[in-house]
Amino acid sequence: MDVKKEIKSLLNQAEVYKSQGLFREALEKYIRSGKLIQKHQKVISNHKSLLNSLAKKVRAVKEDIQRFESIPLNQEMPESVLNIIKQKFAVKKEGIEGELEGAVALAKFGQYERALDEFKQLVKNETVGVDAAKNIIRCHMALDSVEEGVKHYRHWCESGVFVPEHVENIRRFFQERIDRKKLDIQLQASPGVGSLQDIEPVPPRKEDEEVREEDLIDITTVVIALKEGRSREFDVSFQSGTLINLLLSDKDTQTLEQMEEGLVLENVQFFSPIAMFEGKARVESKSQIDSGPKMGYYSVDLKIMSI
Amino acid sequence: MANINLKLREIEVKVVYYGPGRCGKTTNLEYIFKTFRKQVTGQMVSANTEGDRTLYFDFLPMGLGKVKGYDVRVQLYTVPGQVKYGATRRMVLREVDGVVFVADSMDVRREKNMLSLKDLHQNLKGYGLSIFKIPLVLQYNKRDLGEQGIPLMPIGQMERDLNRQLKVPSFPASAVKGEGVGPTLKACLKLTLQSLKQQMGW
Repeated sequence: MDVKKEIKSLLNQAEVYKSQGLFREALEKYIRSGKLIQKHQKVISNHKSLLNSLAKKVRAVKEDIQRFESIPLNQEMPESVLNIIKQKFAVKKEGIEGELEGAVALAKFGQYERALDEFKQLVKNETVGVDAAKNIIRCHMALDSVEEGVKHYRHWCESGVFVPEHVENIRRFFQERIDRKKLDIQLQASPGVGSLQDIEPVPPRKEDEEVREEDLIDITTVVIALKEGRSREFDVSFQSGTLINLLLSDKDTQTLEQMEEGLVLENVQFFSPIAMFEGKARVESKSQIDSGPKMGYYSVDLKIMSI
Repeated sequence: MANINLKLREIEVKVVYYGPGRCGKTTNLEYIFKTFRKQVTGQMVSANTEGDRTLYFDFLPMGLGKVKGYDVRVQLYTVPGQVKYGATRRMVLREVDGVVFVADSMDVRREKNMLSLKDLHQNLKGYGLSIFKIPLVLQYNKRDLGEQGIPLMPIGQMERDLNRQLKVPSFPASAVKGEGVGPTLKACLKLTLQSLKQQMGW
Protein backbone atom coordinates (compact mmCIF):
# COMPACT_ATOMS: atom_id res chain seq x y z
CA MET A 1 0.00 0.00 0.00
CA ASP A 2 1.10 3.54 -0.71
CA VAL A 3 2.68 4.84 2.50
CA LYS A 4 0.52 7.96 2.61
CA LYS A 5 -2.61 5.85 2.23
CA GLU A 6 -1.37 3.51 4.93
CA ILE A 7 -0.80 6.40 7.36
CA LYS A 8 -4.20 7.82 6.52
CA SER A 9 -5.81 4.43 7.14
CA LEU A 10 -4.03 4.04 10.49
CA LEU A 11 -5.09 7.50 11.60
CA ASN A 12 -8.64 6.80 10.53
CA GLN A 13 -8.65 3.56 12.54
CA ALA A 14 -7.22 5.37 15.55
CA GLU A 15 -9.98 7.99 15.40
CA VAL A 16 -12.70 5.35 15.12
CA TYR A 17 -11.24 3.31 18.00
CA LYS A 18 -11.07 6.45 20.09
CA SER A 19 -14.67 7.29 19.30
CA GLN A 20 -15.58 3.74 20.37
CA GLY A 21 -13.81 4.25 23.68
CA LEU A 22 -11.09 1.77 22.74
CA PHE A 23 -8.24 3.99 23.86
CA ARG A 24 -5.46 1.41 23.91
CA GLU A 25 -6.25 0.32 20.37
CA ALA A 26 -6.31 3.99 19.31
CA LEU A 27 -2.96 4.64 20.99
CA GLU A 28 -1.37 1.69 19.22
CA LYS A 29 -2.52 3.01 15.81
CA TYR A 30 -1.33 6.55 16.56
CA ILE A 31 2.08 5.21 17.54
CA ARG A 32 2.30 3.02 14.45
CA SER A 33 1.39 5.92 12.18
CA GLY A 34 3.97 8.12 13.94
CA LYS A 35 6.66 5.54 13.29
CA LEU A 36 5.68 5.33 9.63
CA ILE A 37 5.79 9.13 9.27
CA GLN A 38 9.26 9.23 10.82
CA LYS A 39 10.47 6.41 8.58
CA HIS A 40 9.21 8.07 5.41
CA GLN A 41 9.71 11.73 6.29
CA LYS A 42 11.53 12.36 3.03
CA VAL A 43 8.37 11.73 1.04
CA ILE A 44 6.04 13.44 3.48
CA SER A 45 6.50 17.16 3.12
CA ASN A 46 4.44 18.15 6.19
CA HIS A 47 5.89 15.44 8.45
CA LYS A 48 6.81 17.92 11.20
CA SER A 49 3.33 19.29 11.62
CA LEU A 50 1.89 15.78 11.36
CA LEU A 51 4.20 14.52 14.09
CA ASN A 52 3.33 17.50 16.30
CA SER A 53 -0.34 16.86 15.86
CA LEU A 54 0.16 13.16 16.54
CA ALA A 55 2.09 13.87 19.73
CA LYS A 56 -0.89 15.89 20.99
CA LYS A 57 -3.28 13.06 20.12
CA VAL A 58 -1.06 10.50 21.86
CA ARG A 59 -0.93 12.68 24.98
CA ALA A 60 -4.69 13.11 24.96
CA VAL A 61 -5.41 9.43 24.53
CA LYS A 62 -2.92 8.54 27.29
CA GLU A 63 -4.80 10.94 29.55
CA ASP A 64 -8.04 9.21 28.60
CA ILE A 65 -6.54 5.84 29.52
CA GLN A 66 -5.28 7.16 32.84
CA ARG A 67 -8.57 8.81 33.69
CA PHE A 68 -10.51 5.75 32.73
CA GLU A 69 -8.29 3.39 34.72
CA SER A 70 -8.49 5.51 37.83
CA ILE A 71 -12.28 5.24 38.03
CA PRO A 72 -12.95 3.54 41.36
CA LEU A 73 -14.58 0.11 41.29
CA ASN A 74 -17.44 1.08 43.54
CA GLN A 75 -19.27 4.30 42.97
CA GLU A 76 -22.46 5.67 44.32
CA MET A 77 -25.37 4.37 42.30
CA PRO A 78 -28.46 6.26 41.27
CA GLU A 79 -31.57 5.49 43.34
CA SER A 80 -33.17 3.69 40.39
CA VAL A 81 -30.30 1.20 40.23
CA LEU A 82 -30.29 0.69 44.00
CA ASN A 83 -33.99 -0.12 43.89
CA ILE A 84 -33.49 -2.69 41.15
CA ILE A 85 -30.70 -4.34 43.11
CA LYS A 86 -32.91 -4.57 46.18
CA GLN A 87 -35.91 -5.87 44.24
CA LYS A 88 -34.23 -8.18 41.79
CA PHE A 89 -31.09 -9.46 43.49
CA ALA A 90 -32.46 -10.25 46.92
CA VAL A 91 -32.58 -14.00 47.57
CA LYS A 92 -35.87 -13.59 49.42
CA LYS A 93 -38.17 -10.90 48.19
CA GLU A 94 -40.95 -10.54 50.71
CA GLY A 95 -41.40 -9.44 54.29
CA ILE A 96 -38.71 -8.40 56.71
CA GLU A 97 -36.39 -11.10 55.40
CA GLY A 98 -36.81 -9.62 51.94
CA GLU A 99 -35.73 -6.26 53.35
CA LEU A 100 -32.66 -7.85 54.90
CA GLU A 101 -31.79 -9.68 51.68
CA GLY A 102 -32.27 -6.47 49.72
CA ALA A 103 -29.69 -4.79 51.92
CA VAL A 104 -27.39 -7.80 51.56
CA ALA A 105 -27.70 -7.46 47.78
CA LEU A 106 -26.65 -3.81 48.04
CA ALA A 107 -23.57 -4.85 50.01
CA LYS A 108 -22.75 -7.51 47.43
CA PHE A 109 -22.71 -4.75 44.80
CA GLY A 110 -20.29 -2.80 46.96
CA GLN A 111 -22.91 -0.26 48.10
CA TYR A 112 -21.80 -0.58 51.73
CA GLU A 113 -22.83 2.85 52.96
CA ARG A 114 -26.35 2.49 51.65
CA ALA A 115 -26.53 -1.10 52.91
CA LEU A 116 -25.40 0.09 56.35
CA ASP A 117 -28.28 2.55 56.50
CA GLU A 118 -30.70 -0.28 55.84
CA PHE A 119 -29.08 -2.77 58.23
CA LYS A 120 -29.19 -0.16 61.00
CA GLN A 121 -32.95 0.07 60.54
CA LEU A 122 -33.25 -3.70 60.77
CA VAL A 123 -31.13 -4.26 63.88
CA LYS A 124 -34.07 -3.67 66.18
CA ASN A 125 -36.18 -6.28 64.46
CA GLU A 126 -36.58 -9.47 66.45
CA THR A 127 -36.46 -11.81 63.45
CA VAL A 128 -33.53 -10.43 61.49
CA GLY A 129 -31.78 -8.22 64.07
CA VAL A 130 -28.81 -10.51 64.67
CA ASP A 131 -28.27 -11.04 60.93
CA ALA A 132 -28.50 -7.29 60.39
CA ALA A 133 -25.90 -6.72 63.12
CA LYS A 134 -23.54 -9.25 61.55
CA ASN A 135 -23.98 -7.57 58.20
CA ILE A 136 -23.17 -4.21 59.74
CA ILE A 137 -19.92 -5.78 60.88
CA ARG A 138 -19.30 -7.27 57.42
CA CYS A 139 -19.79 -3.83 55.84
CA HIS A 140 -17.40 -2.16 58.27
CA MET A 141 -14.81 -4.87 57.67
CA ALA A 142 -15.17 -4.31 53.91
CA LEU A 143 -14.92 -0.55 54.36
CA ASP A 144 -11.87 -0.92 56.63
CA SER A 145 -13.75 0.96 59.31
CA VAL A 146 -13.43 -1.66 62.04
CA GLU A 147 -13.51 0.99 64.78
CA GLU A 148 -17.00 1.97 63.66
CA GLY A 149 -17.99 -1.68 63.94
CA VAL A 150 -16.58 -1.79 67.47
CA LYS A 151 -18.65 1.29 68.37
CA HIS A 152 -21.77 -0.49 67.14
CA TYR A 153 -20.87 -3.60 69.10
CA ARG A 154 -20.40 -1.57 72.30
CA HIS A 155 -23.74 0.10 71.73
CA TRP A 156 -25.42 -3.30 71.32
CA CYS A 157 -23.77 -4.48 74.54
CA GLU A 158 -25.00 -1.49 76.50
CA SER A 159 -28.36 -0.71 74.95
CA GLY A 160 -30.06 -4.02 75.62
CA VAL A 161 -31.24 -4.24 72.04
CA PHE A 162 -30.08 -7.88 72.05
CA VAL A 163 -30.30 -10.58 74.71
CA PRO A 164 -26.86 -11.62 76.07
CA GLU A 165 -26.80 -14.84 74.01
CA HIS A 166 -27.21 -12.85 70.82
CA VAL A 167 -24.59 -10.31 71.85
CA GLU A 168 -22.20 -13.19 72.47
CA ASN A 169 -23.05 -14.70 69.10
CA ILE A 170 -22.28 -11.36 67.44
CA ARG A 171 -19.08 -10.94 69.50
CA ARG A 172 -17.73 -14.32 68.36
CA PHE A 173 -18.59 -13.52 64.77
CA PHE A 174 -16.89 -10.13 64.95
CA GLN A 175 -13.84 -11.30 66.92
CA GLU A 176 -13.19 -14.06 64.42
CA ARG A 177 -13.10 -11.54 61.59
CA ILE A 178 -10.88 -9.19 63.60
CA ASP A 179 -8.49 -12.07 64.28
CA ARG A 180 -8.45 -13.05 60.62
CA LYS A 181 -7.34 -9.51 59.79
CA LYS A 182 -4.70 -9.82 62.52
CA LEU A 183 -5.94 -6.67 64.25
CA ASP A 184 -5.05 -6.07 67.87
CA ILE A 185 -8.61 -5.68 69.14
CA GLN A 186 -10.22 -7.80 71.85
CA LEU A 187 -13.96 -7.36 72.15
CA GLN A 188 -15.30 -7.38 75.68
CA ALA A 189 -18.17 -9.74 76.30
CA SER A 190 -21.47 -8.19 77.24
CA PRO A 191 -21.84 -7.90 81.07
CA GLY A 192 -24.67 -10.43 81.09
CA VAL A 193 -22.65 -13.00 79.22
CA GLY A 194 -20.11 -13.93 81.91
CA SER A 195 -22.08 -16.84 83.26
CA LEU A 196 -23.03 -17.94 79.80
CA GLN A 197 -19.39 -18.19 78.81
CA ASP A 198 -18.70 -20.32 81.87
CA ILE A 199 -21.33 -22.76 80.73
CA GLU A 200 -20.46 -22.58 77.06
CA PRO A 201 -16.73 -21.99 76.67
CA VAL A 202 -15.68 -20.96 73.21
CA PRO A 203 -13.41 -23.70 71.89
CA PRO A 204 -10.37 -22.73 69.88
CA ARG A 205 -10.99 -23.04 66.17
CA LYS A 206 -9.32 -26.09 64.70
CA GLU A 207 -8.48 -26.73 61.07
CA ASP A 208 -10.92 -29.58 60.78
CA GLU A 209 -13.67 -28.13 62.92
CA GLU A 210 -17.02 -28.36 61.21
CA VAL A 211 -18.06 -25.28 59.33
CA ARG A 212 -20.36 -22.88 61.13
CA GLU A 213 -23.56 -22.10 59.29
CA GLU A 214 -23.10 -18.37 59.52
CA ASP A 215 -19.77 -18.62 57.67
CA LEU A 216 -21.23 -20.44 54.72
CA ILE A 217 -22.29 -19.01 51.43
CA ASP A 218 -24.54 -20.55 48.78
CA ILE A 219 -23.10 -23.64 47.16
CA THR A 220 -24.42 -24.29 43.67
CA THR A 221 -22.37 -27.27 42.51
CA VAL A 222 -20.10 -29.86 44.06
CA VAL A 223 -17.44 -32.02 42.46
CA ILE A 224 -16.76 -35.22 44.34
CA ALA A 225 -13.67 -37.38 43.84
CA LEU A 226 -14.73 -41.03 43.77
CA LYS A 227 -12.66 -44.04 44.81
CA GLU A 228 -11.51 -45.10 41.36
CA GLY A 229 -10.02 -41.67 40.75
CA ARG A 230 -12.77 -40.17 38.62
CA SER A 231 -14.71 -37.07 39.64
CA ARG A 232 -18.44 -36.44 39.40
CA GLU A 233 -20.13 -33.06 39.32
CA PHE A 234 -23.54 -32.57 40.92
CA ASP A 235 -25.86 -29.58 41.10
CA VAL A 236 -27.03 -28.77 44.60
CA SER A 237 -30.81 -29.16 44.68
CA PHE A 238 -31.16 -27.25 47.92
CA GLN A 239 -29.05 -26.05 50.82
CA SER A 240 -29.85 -25.45 54.42
CA GLY A 241 -26.87 -24.03 56.25
CA THR A 242 -24.07 -26.60 56.07
CA LEU A 243 -26.36 -29.31 54.75
CA ILE A 244 -26.59 -29.66 51.00
CA ASN A 245 -28.85 -31.98 49.07
CA LEU A 246 -28.01 -33.72 45.81
CA LEU A 247 -30.28 -35.72 43.56
CA LEU A 248 -28.66 -38.79 42.01
CA SER A 249 -30.19 -40.86 39.30
CA ASP A 250 -30.82 -44.49 40.27
CA LYS A 251 -28.85 -45.39 37.13
CA ASP A 252 -25.72 -43.91 38.67
CA THR A 253 -25.08 -47.12 40.56
CA GLN A 254 -21.31 -46.69 40.91
CA THR A 255 -21.69 -43.37 42.72
CA LEU A 256 -24.66 -44.54 44.78
CA GLU A 257 -22.80 -47.61 46.01
CA GLN A 258 -20.02 -45.42 47.33
CA MET A 259 -22.29 -42.89 48.98
CA GLU A 260 -22.74 -44.83 52.20
CA GLU A 261 -24.13 -42.93 55.16
CA GLY A 262 -21.30 -41.70 57.39
CA LEU A 263 -18.73 -41.78 54.58
CA VAL A 264 -16.38 -38.79 54.71
CA LEU A 265 -15.62 -37.43 51.26
CA GLU A 266 -12.11 -36.03 51.53
CA ASN A 267 -11.75 -34.10 48.28
CA VAL A 268 -14.85 -32.12 47.51
CA GLN A 269 -14.90 -28.96 45.42
CA PHE A 270 -17.66 -26.59 46.42
CA PHE A 271 -18.64 -24.05 43.77
CA SER A 272 -20.32 -20.89 44.97
CA PRO A 273 -21.32 -17.86 42.91
CA ILE A 274 -18.16 -16.16 44.12
CA ALA A 275 -15.48 -18.79 44.10
CA MET A 276 -14.57 -22.44 44.33
CA PHE A 277 -13.56 -23.93 47.67
CA GLU A 278 -12.07 -27.28 48.50
CA GLY A 279 -13.06 -29.18 51.57
CA LYS A 280 -14.60 -32.22 53.18
CA ALA A 281 -18.16 -33.42 53.47
CA ARG A 282 -19.90 -36.32 55.19
CA VAL A 283 -22.77 -38.34 53.74
CA GLU A 284 -25.55 -37.74 56.25
CA SER A 285 -28.36 -39.63 54.60
CA LYS A 286 -29.35 -41.36 51.40
CA SER A 287 -32.90 -42.26 50.50
CA GLN A 288 -34.81 -43.13 47.37
CA ILE A 289 -37.58 -40.72 46.30
CA ASP A 290 -40.84 -42.65 45.98
CA SER A 291 -43.12 -40.06 44.42
CA GLY A 292 -43.17 -36.95 42.26
CA PRO A 293 -41.24 -36.06 39.12
CA LYS A 294 -37.95 -37.33 40.56
CA MET A 295 -39.38 -40.69 41.63
CA GLY A 296 -36.65 -43.33 41.66
CA TYR A 297 -33.86 -40.80 42.16
CA TYR A 298 -31.81 -40.83 45.32
CA SER A 299 -31.76 -37.86 47.64
CA VAL A 300 -28.33 -37.57 49.25
CA ASP A 301 -27.64 -35.12 52.07
CA LEU A 302 -24.06 -34.01 52.55
CA LYS A 303 -22.87 -32.20 55.65
CA ILE A 304 -20.08 -29.75 54.87
CA MET A 305 -17.30 -30.42 57.37
CA SER A 306 -14.65 -28.02 56.17
CA ILE A 307 -14.34 -25.54 53.39
CA MET B 1 -34.59 -21.25 36.53
CA ALA B 2 -37.18 -18.59 35.82
CA ASN B 3 -38.91 -17.02 38.78
CA ILE B 4 -42.45 -18.37 38.85
CA ASN B 5 -45.17 -16.81 40.98
CA LEU B 6 -47.98 -19.33 41.06
CA LYS B 7 -50.27 -17.03 43.01
CA LEU B 8 -50.04 -14.14 40.57
CA ARG B 9 -49.54 -16.51 37.61
CA GLU B 10 -46.43 -14.67 36.54
CA ILE B 11 -43.16 -15.92 35.14
CA GLU B 12 -40.07 -13.75 35.26
CA VAL B 13 -37.40 -14.63 32.74
CA LYS B 14 -33.93 -13.16 32.91
CA VAL B 15 -31.86 -12.60 29.76
CA VAL B 16 -28.35 -11.23 30.09
CA TYR B 17 -26.36 -9.48 27.37
CA TYR B 18 -22.74 -10.50 27.87
CA GLY B 19 -19.58 -9.60 25.99
CA PRO B 20 -16.31 -7.67 26.13
CA GLY B 21 -16.16 -4.00 27.06
CA ARG B 22 -17.46 -1.57 24.44
CA CYS B 23 -18.92 -4.31 22.22
CA GLY B 24 -22.37 -2.70 22.12
CA LYS B 25 -24.43 -4.45 24.79
CA THR B 26 -25.97 -1.22 26.07
CA THR B 27 -26.57 -0.06 22.48
CA ASN B 28 -28.59 -3.24 21.91
CA LEU B 29 -30.79 -2.47 24.91
CA GLU B 30 -31.16 1.17 23.93
CA TYR B 31 -32.38 0.15 20.50
CA ILE B 32 -34.81 -2.39 21.99
CA PHE B 33 -36.09 0.26 24.38
CA LYS B 34 -36.71 2.70 21.52
CA THR B 35 -38.14 0.20 19.06
CA PHE B 36 -40.09 -2.45 20.95
CA ARG B 37 -42.40 0.07 22.64
CA LYS B 38 -45.32 -2.35 22.84
CA GLN B 39 -43.34 -4.96 24.70
CA VAL B 40 -41.31 -2.64 26.91
CA THR B 41 -43.08 -2.31 30.25
CA GLY B 42 -40.92 0.21 32.08
CA GLN B 43 -37.99 2.55 31.91
CA MET B 44 -34.51 1.44 30.92
CA VAL B 45 -32.24 1.89 33.92
CA SER B 46 -28.51 2.38 33.43
CA ALA B 47 -25.57 3.20 35.64
CA ASN B 48 -22.76 4.46 33.49
CA THR B 49 -19.40 5.95 34.29
CA GLU B 50 -17.59 8.73 32.54
CA GLY B 51 -17.06 7.75 28.92
CA ASP B 52 -20.38 5.95 28.84
CA ARG B 53 -19.09 2.66 30.14
CA THR B 54 -21.52 0.44 31.98
CA LEU B 55 -20.57 0.44 35.61
CA TYR B 56 -23.00 -2.05 37.12
CA PHE B 57 -25.66 -3.10 34.64
CA ASP B 58 -28.43 -1.87 32.40
CA PHE B 59 -31.94 -3.11 33.02
CA LEU B 60 -34.93 -3.18 30.73
CA PRO B 61 -38.26 -4.85 31.60
CA MET B 62 -40.43 -6.33 28.87
CA GLY B 63 -43.68 -8.26 28.67
CA LEU B 64 -44.30 -11.11 26.26
CA GLY B 65 -47.96 -11.68 26.93
CA LYS B 66 -49.43 -14.94 28.20
CA VAL B 67 -48.12 -18.48 27.89
CA LYS B 68 -50.37 -21.21 29.33
CA GLY B 69 -52.21 -18.58 31.33
CA TYR B 70 -49.00 -17.19 32.83
CA ASP B 71 -47.97 -13.62 32.27
CA VAL B 72 -44.40 -13.85 30.93
CA ARG B 73 -42.17 -10.97 31.95
CA VAL B 74 -38.69 -10.65 30.56
CA GLN B 75 -35.93 -8.74 32.24
CA LEU B 76 -33.05 -7.78 30.02
CA TYR B 77 -29.74 -7.00 31.67
CA THR B 78 -26.31 -6.09 30.41
CA VAL B 79 -23.13 -6.74 32.35
CA PRO B 80 -20.16 -4.39 32.60
CA GLY B 81 -17.72 -5.73 30.04
CA GLN B 82 -14.46 -4.52 31.48
CA VAL B 83 -12.33 -7.18 33.10
CA LYS B 84 -12.16 -5.40 36.46
CA TYR B 85 -15.91 -5.71 37.01
CA GLY B 86 -15.85 -9.49 37.27
CA ALA B 87 -17.69 -9.57 40.59
CA THR B 88 -20.57 -7.51 39.19
CA ARG B 89 -20.78 -9.73 36.11
CA ARG B 90 -21.14 -12.78 38.35
CA MET B 91 -23.83 -11.07 40.39
CA VAL B 92 -25.83 -10.06 37.32
CA LEU B 93 -25.63 -13.58 35.90
CA ARG B 94 -27.30 -15.07 38.96
CA GLU B 95 -30.46 -16.98 38.00
CA VAL B 96 -30.00 -16.21 34.31
CA ASP B 97 -32.35 -17.98 31.91
CA GLY B 98 -30.91 -16.92 28.55
CA VAL B 99 -27.78 -15.22 27.29
CA VAL B 100 -26.98 -13.03 24.29
CA PHE B 101 -23.23 -12.94 23.76
CA VAL B 102 -22.33 -9.77 21.87
CA ALA B 103 -19.00 -10.09 20.10
CA ASP B 104 -17.15 -7.16 18.59
CA SER B 105 -16.44 -7.72 14.90
CA MET B 106 -13.36 -5.50 14.89
CA ASP B 107 -10.15 -7.37 14.20
CA VAL B 108 -8.43 -5.70 17.15
CA ARG B 109 -11.02 -7.13 19.56
CA ARG B 110 -10.63 -10.77 18.55
CA GLU B 111 -8.84 -11.85 21.71
CA LYS B 112 -11.20 -9.85 23.95
CA ASN B 113 -14.17 -11.69 22.46
CA MET B 114 -12.63 -15.05 23.20
CA LEU B 115 -11.63 -14.08 26.73
CA SER B 116 -15.11 -12.77 27.46
CA LEU B 117 -16.73 -15.97 26.19
CA LYS B 118 -14.40 -17.97 28.41
CA ASP B 119 -15.34 -15.70 31.31
CA LEU B 120 -19.02 -16.36 30.61
CA HIS B 121 -18.33 -20.11 30.60
CA GLN B 122 -16.56 -19.90 33.97
CA ASN B 123 -19.20 -17.72 35.56
CA LEU B 124 -22.05 -19.94 34.40
CA LYS B 125 -20.18 -22.93 35.77
CA GLY B 126 -19.97 -21.14 39.11
CA TYR B 127 -23.78 -21.25 39.19
CA GLY B 128 -23.90 -24.89 38.14
CA LEU B 129 -24.92 -23.94 34.59
CA SER B 130 -23.35 -25.12 31.35
CA ILE B 131 -22.64 -22.80 28.45
CA PHE B 132 -23.53 -25.74 26.20
CA LYS B 133 -26.99 -26.12 27.71
CA ILE B 134 -28.16 -22.62 28.52
CA PRO B 135 -30.22 -20.82 25.87
CA LEU B 136 -27.54 -18.79 24.11
CA VAL B 137 -27.21 -16.80 20.91
CA LEU B 138 -24.23 -14.96 19.51
CA GLN B 139 -24.29 -11.55 17.92
CA TYR B 140 -21.44 -10.31 15.74
CA ASN B 141 -21.82 -6.60 16.24
CA LYS B 142 -20.39 -3.50 14.56
CA ARG B 143 -20.56 -4.92 11.03
CA ASP B 144 -21.17 -1.33 9.83
CA LEU B 145 -17.64 -0.28 10.73
CA GLY B 146 -16.28 -2.03 7.64
CA GLU B 147 -17.72 0.87 5.64
CA GLN B 148 -15.50 3.22 7.63
CA GLY B 149 -12.35 1.33 6.66
CA ILE B 150 -12.02 -0.58 9.92
CA PRO B 151 -10.62 -4.11 9.56
CA LEU B 152 -13.36 -6.54 10.58
CA MET B 153 -13.20 -10.27 11.09
CA PRO B 154 -15.09 -12.26 8.46
CA ILE B 155 -18.19 -13.97 9.88
CA GLY B 156 -16.60 -17.35 9.11
CA GLN B 157 -13.65 -16.54 11.32
CA MET B 158 -15.91 -15.38 14.17
CA GLU B 159 -17.89 -18.59 13.85
CA ARG B 160 -14.68 -20.60 14.09
CA ASP B 161 -13.41 -18.55 17.03
CA LEU B 162 -16.58 -18.46 19.07
CA ASN B 163 -19.17 -20.87 17.77
CA ARG B 164 -17.24 -23.94 16.65
CA GLN B 165 -18.21 -25.96 19.70
CA LEU B 166 -21.30 -24.10 20.84
CA LYS B 167 -23.14 -24.31 17.51
CA VAL B 168 -25.78 -21.81 18.61
CA PRO B 169 -27.71 -19.32 16.44
CA SER B 170 -25.59 -16.33 15.46
CA PHE B 171 -26.44 -12.99 13.90
CA PRO B 172 -24.41 -10.26 12.23
CA ALA B 173 -25.51 -6.91 13.58
CA SER B 174 -25.01 -3.20 13.76
CA ALA B 175 -26.65 -2.27 17.04
CA VAL B 176 -26.03 1.42 16.44
CA LYS B 177 -28.17 1.16 13.29
CA GLY B 178 -30.54 -1.34 14.83
CA GLU B 179 -29.63 -4.04 12.31
CA GLY B 180 -29.73 -7.57 13.71
CA VAL B 181 -30.84 -6.44 17.17
CA GLY B 182 -34.42 -7.70 16.88
CA PRO B 183 -33.55 -11.08 15.35
CA THR B 184 -30.91 -11.65 18.05
CA LEU B 185 -33.35 -10.93 20.85
CA LYS B 186 -36.15 -12.94 19.26
CA ALA B 187 -33.90 -15.97 18.80
CA CYS B 188 -32.73 -15.79 22.40
CA LEU B 189 -36.28 -15.42 23.72
CA LYS B 190 -37.44 -18.33 21.57
CA LEU B 191 -34.73 -20.58 22.98
CA THR B 192 -35.34 -19.35 26.51
CA LEU B 193 -39.08 -19.97 26.33
CA GLN B 194 -38.52 -23.41 24.80
CA SER B 195 -36.24 -24.24 27.71
CA LEU B 196 -38.77 -22.86 30.17
CA LYS B 197 -41.55 -24.99 28.67
CA GLN B 198 -39.32 -28.03 28.99
CA GLN B 199 -38.56 -27.25 32.62
CA MET B 200 -42.24 -26.71 33.36
CA GLY B 201 -43.19 -29.92 31.59
CA TRP B 202 -45.51 -28.06 29.20
